[in-house]
Amino acid sequence: MRGTRTLVLLGLGAFLGFSINFLINVAEARKPFEEEDLKAMNEALMELVKKGDELWHSPKLGNNGLTCANCHPDAANTNPHTFPKFQDNVGKVATLREMINWCIQRPLEGKALPEDSEEMKALEAYAIYMYRGYTLRPGDNTREYPPVKVESGPGYP
Amino acid sequence: MKEMSRRKFIKVSAKAGMAAFTAGAVSPLLGVVNVTEAKTSKRSKVTPFRFVVIGDAHLYEMDNHRFDKTFERAINDIIKMRPKPDFVLFIGDLAQFGKVKELEKGKRYLDRLKKAGIPYRIIPGEHDWYLDMGKTWKEMFGKPYWSFDHKGVHFIGMNSILVRDYWTARNMSPWERMLAIAELECHICGLWGVREEQLEWLEKDVKNLSPDTPIVVFTHSPLWDYYPRWNFQTEDAPQVRQILSKFEKVIAIHGHVHQVVYNKTGNMVHIGNLATAWPWPYPPVDLPFPKIRMLRVDPGDIYDGVGFASTFLDDTFLGVMKYHTWAELIPEDIKDGVPL
Repeated sequence: MRGTRTLVLLGLGAFLGFSINFLINVAEARKPFEEEDLKAMNEALMELVKKGDELWHSPKLGNNGLTCANCHPDAANTNPHTFPKFQDNVGKVATLREMINWCIQRPLEGKALPEDSEEMKALEAYAIYMYRGYTLRPGDNTREYPPVKVESGPGYP
Repeated sequence: MKEMSRRKFIKVSAKAGMAAFTAGAVSPLLGVVNVTEAKTSKRSKVTPFRFVVIGDAHLYEMDNHRFDKTFERAINDIIKMRPKPDFVLFIGDLAQFGKVKELEKGKRYLDRLKKAGIPYRIIPGEHDWYLDMGKTWKEMFGKPYWSFDHKGVHFIGMNSILVRDYWTARNMSPWERMLAIAELECHICGLWGVREEQLEWLEKDVKNLSPDTPIVVFTHSPLWDYYPRWNFQTEDAPQVRQILSKFEKVIAIHGHVHQVVYNKTGNMVHIGNLATAWPWPYPPVDLPFPKIRMLRVDPGDIYDGVGFASTFLDDTFLGVMKYHTWAELIPEDIKDGVPL
């Protein structure tokens, strides 16, 4: 009897031990991404940023020949890290996408983009990428922030 | 209200040069620039006068464009100025893409000045030039670099937007060449400069002038390294500054930056002019004189962030440049002008 009880306890102990070990493995979720995966994911982002750069410099968003880059070279003075914030020209708390549409409709005299469109995502990606490294400052209307300093090339890899 | 303040400006600015000098003698003027440091000539006498600097109109082909409206408003304001400015200097980028129609439109506006009895001088910007390599511009306006004397001051204008060939190897059409350089952040266009021909000309032009001659030099781009990425620079500016270093004082006025900016190098003071088209944001570098800057712009107002400048030079070649704007753009400290 004693022998049997010992075996049961040992078995239970082994099971619990295994379970805890198993749970720890679950908590660690998946293995970290491989270098290759990270590279592919970054390439996908850069493709979107590049598309955004092209749109940023394209008069086709508006009707008066102007582009986003007329006033925002290298996405300067877009301050994407300060959104959402109250925009006095929009008259409410606005997201970056709403502000992009405001610029398309007013200075560029164009038609607003659907906020979930690929074009809008690309424009947003470009502006945010040119402000990489900034601390998020939602609501900051105190000042204008410059984009990253670009020495050469388009400003992204 | 706007008319009132314009008249007030004209009355005030008649005394502004002297006021600037007096304030400077007591203390560094407005805490931003020490005009007492500025060297003035004891021998050369300037007959006080004023001139206007306007530029960066960036006119598009289409009719009733927003940039037509702002440029036209500026031209109308200049015509109404009393006393009349002695002349107007257009500091480059009359057109957006160097098209014949754009340049013709710009010339029609400028010719209204002439009809009103105000002569103008002009230098080119990159937007005027790279569609046909300056052919139309030169046919309309003549030589892109020149000098003249006026009331004791020697004025020099130069073409500072000359780049090395980036189009042939890339097999670009004239239109592609133009579109590339029309982007401020063009990353294939390279740095601008005035280049050898103009350096040689400049050397000859100033050779026989005495060091106490008051000099004013106009270029589209700044004659100092501000932010090369946006060609807020002139590659051979060090050579230009070297040639002009024999003078007691040189006032250098530039366009291209579409913003209020100021600097000093050696014997030179440098000041940037506003555009009539749109303002550029400040680049990601520190301003040498952080108090001489413009305020936040309302992007919903086509008349905000833009304007032109009126410059007054007194008999000792101390000057003041006052930005003429239609919105709250200029900080209180420099509202009455930036001392030069």
